[in-house]
Amino acid sequence: MKIGIPRALLYYYYSPFWKTFFEELGIEMVISPKTSKAILDKGIKESVPEICVPIKIFNGHVVTLLEKDVDYVLIPRMVSIKKGEFFCPKFMGLPDIVRHSIPNAEDKILYPQIKTNSDNLAKATDILQLAEPLGLSYSELKSALKKAGKEWARFNKICKKGYLIPEANKLMQEKLVKAAPRSGDITIGLLGYVYNVYDEFVSMNVYKRLQDLNVNLVTFEMIRNKDINKYLKKMPKRLFWTFSNKLMGAGHYLNNNPGIDGIIHLSAFVCGPDSMLGQVLESETQKTKKPFMTVRVDEHTGENHLITRIEAFADMIRNSKKKRRWA
Amino acid sequence: MKSIFLGIDVGSVSMNIVAIDDNAEVIFDLYTRTNGQPLEVIKKGLFQLRDVLPSTYKVAGVGTTGSGRQLAGVMVGADIVKNEITAHAMATTFFIPNARTIFEIGGQDSKLIILENGIVTDFAMNTVCAAGTGSFLDHQSERLGVPIEEFGDLALTAKRNVRIAGRCTVFAESDMIAKQQYGFSKPEIINGLCEALVRNYINNLGRGKRLQPPYVFQGGVAANKGIKAAFEREINDKVIVPKYYNVMGAVGVALLAREYIKETGYQSNFRGHEAVELDFEPSAFECSGCSNYCEVIKVEVNNKTVAMWGDRCGKWTNSIGQVG
Repeated sequence: MKIGIPRALLYYYYSPFWKTFFEELGIEMVISPKTSKAILDKGIKESVPEICVPIKIFNGHVVTLLEKDVDYVLIPRMVSIKKGEFFCPKFMGLPDIVRHSIPNAEDKILYPQIKTNSDNLAKATDILQLAEPLGLSYSELKSALKKAGKEWARFNKICKKGYLIPEANKLMQEKLVKAAPRSGDITIGLLGYVYNVYDEFVSMNVYKRLQDLNVNLVTFEMIRNKDINKYLKKMPKRLFWTFSNKLMGAGHYLNNNPGIDGIIHLSAFVCGPDSMLGQVLESETQKTKKPFMTVRVDEHTGENHLITRIEAFADMIRNSKKKRRWA
Repeated sequence: MKSIFLGIDVGSVSMNIVAIDDNAEVIFDLYTRTNGQPLEVIKKGLFQLRDVLPSTYKVAGVGTTGSGRQLAGVMVGADIVKNEITAHAMATTFFIPNARTIFEIGGQDSKLIILENGIVTDFAMNTVCAAGTGSFLDHQSERLGVPIEEFGDLALTAKRNVRIAGRCTVFAESDMIAKQQYGFSKPEIINGLCEALVRNYINNLGRGKRLQPPYVFQGGVAANKGIKAAFEREINDKVIVPKYYNVMGAVGVALLAREYIKETGYQSNFRGHEAVELDFEPSAFECSGCSNYCEVIKVEVNNKTVAMWGDRCGKWTNSIGQVG
């Protein structure tokens, strides 16, 4: 049996979990290739025009996997991983979006419901329902789930040591992981959903480009939950969306941290939750005078604008730190 | 031998060259339209420069900026390749050290730069849409049959106010046609257009930012007196248009090149006026190495590839080495 995993949306956050889970069960996984123009084009063809680009990309990955002759494509229905908070409605309805927009997908998707109270999906017991289509026993799935949860926790711990997700994935084989080295001369908080930041196609490689400019990066995955929650607790009302809240809490932490020289918010065009989040980040950073910039990504691939903006942002920070201007 | 430093700004509509001397005095400035042929106009511009400069001058440093900065950088052998925001801010603070707000409107993009004590503290650029930039005004001047150079003066003669929707150029155009049919005169329509452009600019780029004087207005569109007047009405304060308003990016990057060379003591990479006579052949091809089908730009000199970029994976870029 072959299970297809779309390399899109929360794949970037949960890949160590699903990898371990299916490896434990002895099921072959087919992960779709990195997002490309061809994948995006396929996604655009199967999506309603007004939807955000991350969903279009997701659809493109599903189509790509279906072409590869997999038995099933895994599309978890992400409902909640924290009490009182939810996912963007497009995540909750993702299996339905796919069923109704991609031809022949109906019988080929597995969509366990994720409704739990932790980022770690080990206790999302609906996953056990997969036993039947996978032709395995409950107990086999239970033990795989446990192992997957452990691996994910290890991955999460590595991120907290200051590593970006792709770096943390590479370090999973290591027994002992030291805190990430910091070699850049300025440090920028890069706030964005994992599927925007780590999809090299849609983000036009923004994190690598910043690293090439000798910038240290801090993302929400690196920040301790305690620090993220500190601010959220003080808010009169939280946002409804888990990952938006994480970015909000992370943004506040970064904004009040003197070691952070500036904050970049990477946001996809027409993202509803980000229209709230972006405004709050903007007004909060104005109060502290922390340099802040929004970078919007969409289907277009013009890199010039992106490069000009991030270069100018880094220049601005460097110039205010030292008197040299050609840095 | 006296040293000079060159700044070249290759934008979407114009190509500008500035030469400054050791004391940062501007001794040559040129604003030309690219007409879609940036390389040709750079060549012509450099020849023009050579013809007016006495032979006692030597190019000691050169910088490029603007959306075509990479290509121009390869062509002339730039010492420094800088983004437009840093370059513009550099030039403005050189002439007007206490400037706090820069309005810059070019051919296809507009920028707002906020400064504090001569240092950029915030900036904004127009996003995906080019509404309210020079290209739009060009298009309308053609449609109205009024040369763009006369646009501003004509706007100042408007007797009545007419409100034109400035949010989107497509809507602005249909709104203008409607207002013309209502019987508003050309000057009034043009004045309405200037106000719409400024309103759109302030709403888009200035949103949530505290704009403080002194205000400086630069970029090609700053030639337009109607827009300057509209800015002054909008912010209710004086707006300064600097002497070299239309070549500020080039001035800025020339100043940056000067600083860079002075601090590092490096020899300039400038290819020389003669090298510019070499035939630079830019071309583009679609790489079929993977499903990204990147549009790769290749620059050749005498059939030898000197630079490549545009590939996401770096396969082509790295086959040549560093660009610019």
